[in-house]
Amino acid sequence: MTKQIELSGVNKYYGAFHALKNIELSIEKGRFVALVGPSGCGKSTLLRSLAGLESISTGDLKIAGELMNNVPPRKRDIAMVFQSYALYPHMTVEQNLTYSLRIRGVPKAQARKAAEEVAATTGLSQLLGRYPRELSGGQRQRVAMSRAIIRDPKAFLFDEPLSNLDAALRVHMRKEIRTLHDRLGATSVYVTHDQIEAMTMADHVVVMKDGVIEQQGAPLELYDRPANRFVAGFIGSPAMNFVPAMVGEDGRSLAVDVGEKQTIVLDRQLQPGRKVTAGLRPEHLHFVEPGQGVFRLPVGIVESTGSATYITTSTAAEVTIVETSRRPVRTGDIIDVSIRPADVHVFDDQTGLRI
Amino acid sequence: MALRHHHFLPEGVVFRANAPGSPVRSIGGPMKRLFSSIRDGNGFDIVLVAFPLGFLFLMAGLPLLYNILMSFQEVDMFSLGTFLRPFVGFKNYQELFAQPETWPILGNTAIFVIGSIAGQFLIGFGLALFFWVNFPGASWLRGLFLVSWVMPGLVVGAIWNWILSGDFGVLNFMLKETGIISGNIFWRSDPNYSLYAVIIANVWLGTAFNMILLSVGLASIPGDLYEAAELDGANAWQRFWTITLPMMRSTIGAIVSLGLIFTLQQFDLFAAITSGGPNNSSNVTQYWAWDLSFRQYDFAKGATISVIMIVFVMFASVVYVRSTRHEVRG
Repeated sequence: MTKQIELSGVNKYYGAFHALKNIELSIEKGRFVALVGPSGCGKSTLLRSLAGLESISTGDLKIAGELMNNVPPRKRDIAMVFQSYALYPHMTVEQNLTYSLRIRGVPKAQARKAAEEVAATTGLSQLLGRYPRELSGGQRQRVAMSRAIIRDPKAFLFDEPLSNLDAALRVHMRKEIRTLHDRLGATSVYVTHDQIEAMTMADHVVVMKDGVIEQQGAPLELYDRPANRFVAGFIGSPAMNFVPAMVGEDGRSLAVDVGEKQTIVLDRQLQPGRKVTAGLRPEHLHFVEPGQGVFRLPVGIVESTGSATYITTSTAAEVTIVETSRRPVRTGDIIDVSIRPADVHVFDDQTGLRI
Repeated sequence: MALRHHHFLPEGVVFRANAPGSPVRSIGGPMKRLFSSIRDGNGFDIVLVAFPLGFLFLMAGLPLLYNILMSFQEVDMFSLGTFLRPFVGFKNYQELFAQPETWPILGNTAIFVIGSIAGQFLIGFGLALFFWVNFPGASWLRGLFLVSWVMPGLVVGAIWNWILSGDFGVLNFMLKETGIISGNIFWRSDPNYSLYAVIIANVWLGTAFNMILLSVGLASIPGDLYEAAELDGANAWQRFWTITLPMMRSTIGAIVSLGLIFTLQQFDLFAAITSGGPNNSSNVTQYWAWDLSFRQYDFAKGATISVIMIVFVMFASVVYVRSTRHEVRG
């Protein structure tokens, strides 16, 4: 596989503010990569650096093997879909689509034909004569994508393109973008703050925080083996439960501090007596018959969505449980809960790193 | 919005009070209904609109109509105080266009308007683009430029009199030192230059206003359009032609028509710099109208010229209103 985008040792400073810290990232051709993280984590800065709208302070940025550090955006052959779509309001849909071609001096008839072809694949054929202000949000989104597709660029950059759409349309466009990516065999970098978007769309997820890549890998790898507490809490919904714990004297059990001290068994050997944080995913905690569980927990809040029941305990450190069985539960009940040893994540108390 | 609110809520109350069978209706007469309408309902809105409309009609509409009427009458010093004077049809117009100085003065006016607008707009747009770059201190410096616009025309005229002065003026000095001219130009008294002397001063006076309006227009173009165009491969020059100019169309239309109105109003500079001379070489319609009316006491001709000017200003106003109505915003 050829590397389409390569970043090595990339740093970005805004004055004294260190926005990107030693970024190492390589993206193979045809991959769909999601940059995800809370706001201000540097994901948009990283994307804009790829586009050339921001310059990087140190390090190397290569696109299709060529060093791009000082190449202006218009010579990078990269297309971007903006959060605001940034459609040219004084041009029709067709003129929006053909803008890049006309700038390049492509003959009018040829540009028109290209626009019609792209519009046919994105369902815009009937709208070519309209102005952006006459389109709905979803249609504008499609125009923005078509404007990128028509150029056949080296890479597609998406800057939170779905955040202005309503929930139903967002789920629909998620699939549409991914389908389009596969059909074009494109290389895409997708910025989002929504971990579900990242998990469902991408082949490769990059989790960022404070300008640092916390972890990158396949979506399920991040879910199954989060490298640290931050990634563990960020990936997965509802978020992972973190409870203080201490490794037992045999090194194969955890004394977990929820309500009363309770013990869970581990499938690995740890240093006895070490203070740690246990991470338990809500969907990995299951109801069991009384007396057979590892936890006995008092029920606080019960929220039912029909497909699943979300239970929040009334313990000091709140624990969330997702239960798909329809077993009736009421506030004040004491429930018995179990977890498989392999599903217990353990993090260092100080560094937050996975143990 | 505040007016709407006022209108909405109490009107509901009035409606209920006036509903059939309500006791209020039988007690209150038409007067009471009128008062409550003025207090709470449509009447209040009408009163609010009536005041400015009445003011406009009294202070602008009546003089305008009187001016048009006068252009069709025979007016002399003795009939000034009366309203109904002998009607002469288009005689004033025919006489005016028979005068030898009329066409040259209309030509001067055209040169003055076109030269002033072109100079103000081009320099103003250049400055607006310059300050748009947003270097340190840009907004502060831009504010300073407004000083020229705040100054009274007569003061500007007096200052330009010194600058343009033939023997010791700084403009002649600079042109000579840079080798552009060899002998002094007598800007104000040479018939070949007198009109351009006023144009230069007027360009200086109006540039800042153009710059501010164009700066506002530039600032309202979303930045991501330029980023999108840049990624689409457009260089700075192409971005200017394909994004900036089309997005500024309504602003440019507005400023050119406002410029037409303002330059046709420009009087102070002529009074201060050339007084229309020498030999009408720098005379323009607006100054001539005043000269005819109040120095030669030929009020009918003065009014006739004003009517001709009204036609041009009306045309500019229509362009202005249309261009501000057709704003393109995504």
